[in-house]
Amino acid sequence: MAKRPHGLSFGLPRMHREAGERRDFLPALVGKLADWGVEVFVEGGIGSGMGFRDQDYTDLSPLVHLASNEEAFRADVVLTLRCPDESEFLKLRPGSILFAMLHFPTRPKRVQLLSELGVEAISMDSVTDDSGRRLVVDSRDVAWNGVEAAFDALEETWPDLRTPSDRAVRVMVAGPGEIGKHAVEAATKYGNIERAVRYAREGLRGVEVLVVGRNLTGDEDHMRRSFRATDLFVDATQRDDPSKPLVPNAWIADLPPHAVICDLVVDPYLLDEDPPTVSSIEGIPQGNLDQWIFMADDPAWDRLPAGVPNEHRRAVASCYSWPGVHPLPCMELYGTQLAPLLEVLIRAGGMDGVHAEGSYHERALHRASLRAWVGAG
Amino acid sequence: MALSVGLPRMHKEAGERRDFLPRLVSYLDRAGAGDIVVEDGYGSGIGIDTAAYLGASPRARVGTYEECLGQEVVVVLRYPGRDVVRSLRPGTILVSMLHMPTRPERVELFAELEIRGVSLDGVTDDRGNRLVQNVEAVGWNGVREAFREIQRIHPRFAHPSRRPLRVTCLGAGAVGAHAIRAATRYGDPRLREEMAAARVPGVEVTVADFDLTWQENYMLTRLEQTDLLIDATQREDPTRAIVPNDWVAALPQDAVILDLSVDPYDFSIDPPKIKGIEGIPDGDLDQFVFRPGDPAYDRLPSGVRTKHRRVALACYSWPGLQPRECMEVYGGQIEPVMRVILERPIDEWDPELGSYYERAVARAEVCRWRSARTA
Repeated sequence: MAKRPHGLSFGLPRMHREAGERRDFLPALVGKLADWGVEVFVEGGIGSGMGFRDQDYTDLSPLVHLASNEEAFRADVVLTLRCPDESEFLKLRPGSILFAMLHFPTRPKRVQLLSELGVEAISMDSVTDDSGRRLVVDSRDVAWNGVEAAFDALEETWPDLRTPSDRAVRVMVAGPGEIGKHAVEAATKYGNIERAVRYAREGLRGVEVLVVGRNLTGDEDHMRRSFRATDLFVDATQRDDPSKPLVPNAWIADLPPHAVICDLVVDPYLLDEDPPTVSSIEGIPQGNLDQWIFMADDPAWDRLPAGVPNEHRRAVASCYSWPGVHPLPCMELYGTQLAPLLEVLIRAGGMDGVHAEGSYHERALHRASLRAWVGAG
Repeated sequence: MALSVGLPRMHKEAGERRDFLPRLVSYLDRAGAGDIVVEDGYGSGIGIDTAAYLGASPRARVGTYEECLGQEVVVVLRYPGRDVVRSLRPGTILVSMLHMPTRPERVELFAELEIRGVSLDGVTDDRGNRLVQNVEAVGWNGVREAFREIQRIHPRFAHPSRRPLRVTCLGAGAVGAHAIRAATRYGDPRLREEMAAARVPGVEVTVADFDLTWQENYMLTRLEQTDLLIDATQREDPTRAIVPNDWVAALPQDAVILDLSVDPYDFSIDPPKIKGIEGIPDGDLDQFVFRPGDPAYDRLPSGVRTKHRRVALACYSWPGLQPRECMEVYGGQIEPVMRVILERPIDEWDPELGSYYERAVARAEVCRWRSARTA
């Protein structure tokens, strides 16, 4: 029996940034929304990048409707993982809620535009518990997918990797924070549990992971000496000053020729900004979901901004959105993390019913809202 | 009808200073609790006056330990022990760290006595992640204390000309992740800032997981280059040490050993369970640092080899070293758990269709847990 429609409607537009972006919210989450009594407008083709058909969504409930991109954007709550192009904000209705990775702290122009349009926004990346821990985050997949890709590249650049020998594979992880901690664990398993089992059967020696924090990453002598014994370098740092690279291009010369660089930070080159932002590892290309492995002779190096030193090159694994490399587990995780928040939002009837002193998830939602961000500013 | 709540103290060892903070009493009041009975002296171990608890709710009052145990819901962080459970009235809801998977006898005791239980370590989200845990404090507190010992032992600890300190961490799981991060910061962000300002070389951490730790040659070489050895492993077979006592000899004489996995020795079974690093004593909140001549080594079971010794740190409850910070974390985490307990009768919790926290708490409820495993 169909549920009685609740006051709110949800729109789930797709993400059309690059061909390799295959993520959409899964039928499991849409089914929950319908179970909670809201009408859901999903853009045609939703889930197709992961093998789902439109019927996998519409068969869930009469409350789930196929819609155009524009119709999805006209719903009361617009739910999309990555922030839409700002030109698409005009499709939103004043008073509607945009729930996406909006990155308020680093996107002041976006905040201003949403405020001017009268859109209620909730930034997924700002949803935190009382101790500041992010509740909608996939840092594990950033690390595991990145390290997995890096070992894929290492298999290409270093045939000896799979030759049983007395020496362990040596991985160096810079930055033992939220992403780095997962990178360490991933590195001990070659970035992939199945590969670790396979390699163990083949009698390979295992992986030794060297972890360094800020008190050593700035020590050129120590870093360059360590690089000489490094097969895979993983950057998981958070720099205080993004205008300066963590690893100047000259240091890369000390990595063995077969070594691979894994970029989990993926800061862009924004040389025209003031202050400018440069890649944490100087002179490497930045990847996306269309291409995330770059061998040392890849033409991507020729497309780096002029003036960026890139004489020394090693194979690179870099992707702006590492979780999207394996879209299904990524969206399962996000769906699980978002479900209790959406349940609270629906029960509250929108942001007016979400209180700063409310339940655990109400407080988390409120902290992430544009009204709280603007109010605090 | 509003349920009454008892908050008894933990009387395991003198060093156990933890009690929930007044904020929890205030929360229980708002969540609809009836009487809230706190044991006389509650909070004194962390410098909180009884008046702060009484001021947090007009329904709060001070009672004896027995009175606290007589309430409908009893909340105590560490499992209070078999005798205490036997003293509870049938139907009491005991909210505590029950560790059901490894303590099946507790589950059977609850069933026999008709005690209801919610195991805080069993409160998990839909993906199995624990919602009440403090592994961060395990890693940070243990590593901080270990570096205090290194600082005490090494005369050149703060000298700019010394080489980077070398830590070896066995295990890269949840506890290991925090230990690794803590180790790169000496377990103490303020000390790290001081050392960085004085241009003292930092700390490098080498992580070895089980695919390396069983290889004797590799391990002996690694141990020779280690200033601090951390055990953060989760062994599949606790009857086999990862670092047998013979290997401890490879560590420099001034090296320090830190046990974060805190597996106990158990010689009542055959084969016996031994610690991951063989020959270090069991610690608790009263004593967690053991120098080579400590009499604690003599109290170990005779089957444990202790010939090779270094300064060792072990504690059954590392988070308890910073009791107030620890209880701030746990208090915040159990608030939504208590809301479920106080809002809906225990038999109505729905592990499938309830709210997020209702599902999580229902999974941790002893009867349902027992039924799921005996079905």
